[in-house]
Amino acid sequence: MAAHHESHPPVKRTLRERIGLDHGANRYTYAEDSQFGMMHAGHRPDRWVKTTCGYCSVGCGMLLGVRDGRAVAVKGDPTHPVNAGRLCPKGLSEHLMIAADGRLTTPTVDGHPVSWDVALDHVIDRFGELIERHGSEAVAVLSTGQLVTEEFYALGKLVRLGLGITHFDGNTTLCMASAVAGYKMAFGSDGPPSSYADIEITDCLLLIGANLADNHPLLVPRVLANTAGTIITVDPRVTKTAMIADLHLAIRPRTDVVLLNGIIREVIAEDLIDHDYVRDHTEGFAELRAHVEPYTAEFVAQECGVPADDVRRVALTFGRASSAMVAWTMGVNHSVQGTETVALIATLCAITGNIGRPGTGPFSITGQCNAMGTRESGFTASMPGYRAFDNPEHRRELAALWQIDESRIPTARGRAYPDIIEGIIAGRIKALWVIGTNPIVSFPNRDTLESALERLELLVVQDGFETPTTALADVVLPAAIWGEKDGTFTNSERRVSLVRKAVEPPGVARSDFEIFLDIADRIGLRDELFPGWKQPEDAFEEWRLVSAGRLCDYSGISYAGIADVGGVQWPVGQADTQHLPSGTPRLYADGIFPRPGGRVALRCVSPVRLPDRSGSYYPFVLNTGRTVEHWHTRTKTGRISILERLAPEAWVELNPGDAERLRVRSGDLVRVASERGQIDALAVRVTAIVRAGEVFIPFHYDEASANRLTSSEFDPISREPNYKQCAVRIDRIG
Amino acid sequence: MIADLHPSPVPSPAPAHAPSSSVHVELIPRRQRRAIHGITEAGPALLALEAGQQYRFTFDMGACVGCHSCEVACAEQNGLPPEVAWRRVGEIEGGTHPETKRFNLSMACNHCLEPACLQGCPTEAYVKLDSGIVAHLADECIGCQYCTWNCPYSVPQFQPDRRIVTKCDMCKPRLEQGFTSACVEACPTHAIGIEVVDIAEWRADHSSAEAPHLPPASITVSTTRIILPADMPSETFAGSDWSLRPEHAHWPLIWVTLLTQLATGLVAGGLLVSLSGTTTASSRLAAFAAAAIALPTALLHLGRPLLAFKALRGLKRSWLSREVLAFALLAAATGLAAVVPEPAVLASAALVGLVAVYTSGRLYMVPGRPAWDTRLTVAAFWASGAALGGSAHLVLSLFDDEPTGLRWLVSLGGGGVIAGIAVQVANLVRLARRPELEWRGTWVLISGHLRAWSLIRLATGVLAVVLLIARLPWPALGAVVVTETVARWLFFVSVVPRSMPGGFFRGKV
Repeated sequence: MAAHHESHPPVKRTLRERIGLDHGANRYTYAEDSQFGMMHAGHRPDRWVKTTCGYCSVGCGMLLGVRDGRAVAVKGDPTHPVNAGRLCPKGLSEHLMIAADGRLTTPTVDGHPVSWDVALDHVIDRFGELIERHGSEAVAVLSTGQLVTEEFYALGKLVRLGLGITHFDGNTTLCMASAVAGYKMAFGSDGPPSSYADIEITDCLLLIGANLADNHPLLVPRVLANTAGTIITVDPRVTKTAMIADLHLAIRPRTDVVLLNGIIREVIAEDLIDHDYVRDHTEGFAELRAHVEPYTAEFVAQECGVPADDVRRVALTFGRASSAMVAWTMGVNHSVQGTETVALIATLCAITGNIGRPGTGPFSITGQCNAMGTRESGFTASMPGYRAFDNPEHRRELAALWQIDESRIPTARGRAYPDIIEGIIAGRIKALWVIGTNPIVSFPNRDTLESALERLELLVVQDGFETPTTALADVVLPAAIWGEKDGTFTNSERRVSLVRKAVEPPGVARSDFEIFLDIADRIGLRDELFPGWKQPEDAFEEWRLVSAGRLCDYSGISYAGIADVGGVQWPVGQADTQHLPSGTPRLYADGIFPRPGGRVALRCVSPVRLPDRSGSYYPFVLNTGRTVEHWHTRTKTGRISILERLAPEAWVELNPGDAERLRVRSGDLVRVASERGQIDALAVRVTAIVRAGEVFIPFHYDEASANRLTSSEFDPISREPNYKQCAVRIDRIG
Repeated sequence: MIADLHPSPVPSPAPAHAPSSSVHVELIPRRQRRAIHGITEAGPALLALEAGQQYRFTFDMGACVGCHSCEVACAEQNGLPPEVAWRRVGEIEGGTHPETKRFNLSMACNHCLEPACLQGCPTEAYVKLDSGIVAHLADECIGCQYCTWNCPYSVPQFQPDRRIVTKCDMCKPRLEQGFTSACVEACPTHAIGIEVVDIAEWRADHSSAEAPHLPPASITVSTTRIILPADMPSETFAGSDWSLRPEHAHWPLIWVTLLTQLATGLVAGGLLVSLSGTTTASSRLAAFAAAAIALPTALLHLGRPLLAFKALRGLKRSWLSREVLAFALLAAATGLAAVVPEPAVLASAALVGLVAVYTSGRLYMVPGRPAWDTRLTVAAFWASGAALGGSAHLVLSLFDDEPTGLRWLVSLGGGGVIAGIAVQVANLVRLARRPELEWRGTWVLISGHLRAWSLIRLATGVLAVVLLIARLPWPALGAVVVTETVARWLFFVSVVPRSMPGGFFRGKV
């Protein structure tokens, strides 16, 4: 992404300014805002629109300033329960994203601008043709975690009931599918049981594979505010988050299962388990005890590369804590064993009685702003309302709610994301509709993905911006983005917040909601699928009914109620006045779980470990991740000049000892290669943040794409990619 | 699908029969997390000032997690273009994995008790307000950028679209309304604050303004109170250390300094020649021409050249103001000498020249630029004057019917070149000895990135001396001009400014 950006259009300088009599003072004045005081006059809005940040899943409340129909400023919403007025650098510059260059403003077919009529009819005709010719498996849909819940709900109905498409998944499979599957494995349902407030009050916080400081910055104040409890981090890198912890376990890559087994063994051996909870609310304890018996602290220390006493310390501290919680993010999920690791985390919490009480819980901190919304209301891995495809009762409920014949409710999910790509390669899937995601940069093993997309007969991409993926598209559908549409986001702590339209989308771009409704109209199903819907709130009202009585019960939550308090945590049932106005802070307070028998399934997990690669042709283990300044594939943040100034290009972190052996210094360029591809030139950052033999590359950058290196390995249950470990070699250039 | 890290089962660990309950280890000691304000609590209120007090920033390094929100909030509050940052966040790292520590240092203006920006400013565009805020008056700024050299933290920055320097004013317009500054407001962990400081107490003890990789606070008596973490490693490096690279060349300044030194050398040469005969009118005219051309050339350096006259305001304390005055006097004195061929007039012009070159060299002696901050700078400038003046005069003497004093001119020119090289070498020895990047870095640049140019400087210098001795005036002058121009270019580009520690990308964009 060369010449950008948004914020400073070329300034017309007067003659007086050209000769230096004027120094542009009129561009640099301050003006008073009644709420926030003096601010740069050019950024002072006429009005503030209350909304929710559209980047990560923390779900910060913000005010978007609008003047003359343009977004000119953002401020953190001082009254919002999540962030109390603070924002991260991405949020603080989010208004600049709306008017950034590279917006899609008109539909195109084969590169030619066309009307919506032409574009949508073309898509519908081609989908119809392909399905007719090759069956319902011929078309697949890949969605995102960044639409509003109302859009996810509408899209699910459109795809699975309206268009009759089977293979439907989202990029959420690239980030939290393992958390979903792990929760289901242990508790019988998805649904993170904890709240952010628990981070502040817990007696022991165990953060595994969670670099909050870079990825969820506004959760760090919660960690720092916990002055009484013990903070433990587990991560191969000494991350910014590790540095604020009381103890950091820099375990070797993919040894988290060994560590967890070791901790479980210790708490059992030291009799730090909650016997009543184990007896009343779990099953499988005897097998678990036997299974973890070999995982002595010494064995764990040897496998994980950490001191045995530290393993014991963690177990004792966690076990003796009056309340303890485990929070994790992609370090756990991005693994071939992600699902089982999540279930093991839930197991640790269950045997120590750390579920459903303040300061407890296995807490998945998810990725995208509305990954939760699609988990709950979407129609991909589950049916809306955490309903299972294979549960006849659930299918009956939905058929009744939607007043359609039960036979129209699908009985199985379609292919998951990686399996859709495989289906394309195998020639079974002929058309792909990509919505709000950029697989070229975000999917592992880029070469394979590129060859897959090239095989498609039809690639439809619906997005707000030009991306490396829209560049390959046959049909491009321009979508409105955050700030240009209404709806709700649900954050990691189940808090539902409003997202508001502040400005009009550019050109003829439309909200995804309008696009979905228009398609339904064109196939003659609008009245059936979206009866009487005019705006997103209409979809929300239907979703409330559909979610009623489910774990993720929205039925007591309304737009008006959310607006009053900033955000409401589900579940809130229709008659549930006890949890209003702000919702339910914790799940499973009663210890009853949505499994047959109502108990937590304790999980015995045997680790699959990495082979020793030292001495091989690819001797380094590559870990990929993020940096605070950027969001995912930089579709948005790469267009914001101040963020680009802070992190303009990719780098590879290399331990000082390795750098010395490779005879490179910080700033030198290296080539990084795996069996699948290579990055031709990457700046070295010599740092002891990484262990010798391990390297780290942020995945944000198309220009130096870490996913040219990553492998096509997936969790067998969740189908989530294993982004965190692959073997690479590094060669000095020149 | 290729899986290169094939999962393999963990080998069965040796069965452990005895439970480990016999092992007693302590619980994890809790790190002292300062009672920072939780997300839902407001920051401290700004207190009123009493006499002898001022506001200052505080920074709690242990609370900062390096989110850079302060930088973005600052840029938004002040509408700054992306190339200007009034607040920056640097990185300090030390230790070995897994005991690695990386701390961040967020810093804006330190609103010093002895602000070097203010002291050096030729137009009095800086004022220290009663609140202690070091305010920059944009209307008075001519864009000379001298403050950017003077400040040891590199706080003031030239803003290209405005052609002036701009800097942090602690969000004065907000403070006046009872709001705190944008960076303080934005910091999610309350690592940045504003508080009141007793000026006399702070002057007596400002050790809390020190941090690794910062210049000593005593240079300007920085007021920012930095709370250092207890676990700072003893050996650290700054995130920006690797990005050592040449500075701006400042071509107008290269020409201005060379021209004024040429003018001085010419009148000095003329004076020497006059001892053994009469001076040539051409050399006196040339001296005037050089001094006269230097003045408008200097304007090219300014962001706002039409306001150059304002530069005379700071005579009381700014060496830049003094230089401007001295250069004007040099033009006048050489002009007088050009029309009045009296030795006394020539001698006074030479004296004015020596003083002018002294003021010129003196202005580079700033703590913010260690490579320049030495009397050797003045010596180098004088030596350049001798080299250029001697060799130029030698050429002009060719056109005399009866040239005299050529030996003097050869000695002046050759001596100047040799002295210049000797001074440069002496300075490099001085700089190479100290471990700090701002000293040693100049040597690293000269012997590394700039090695080819350094060798050209040396070779042309030696050649110039040989050609002078061989009495080949034109080739000698050519060699002197090349060697002195390259030397001056190296002077500007090889300096390593003192600054706050930067991040990995600072200096790359």
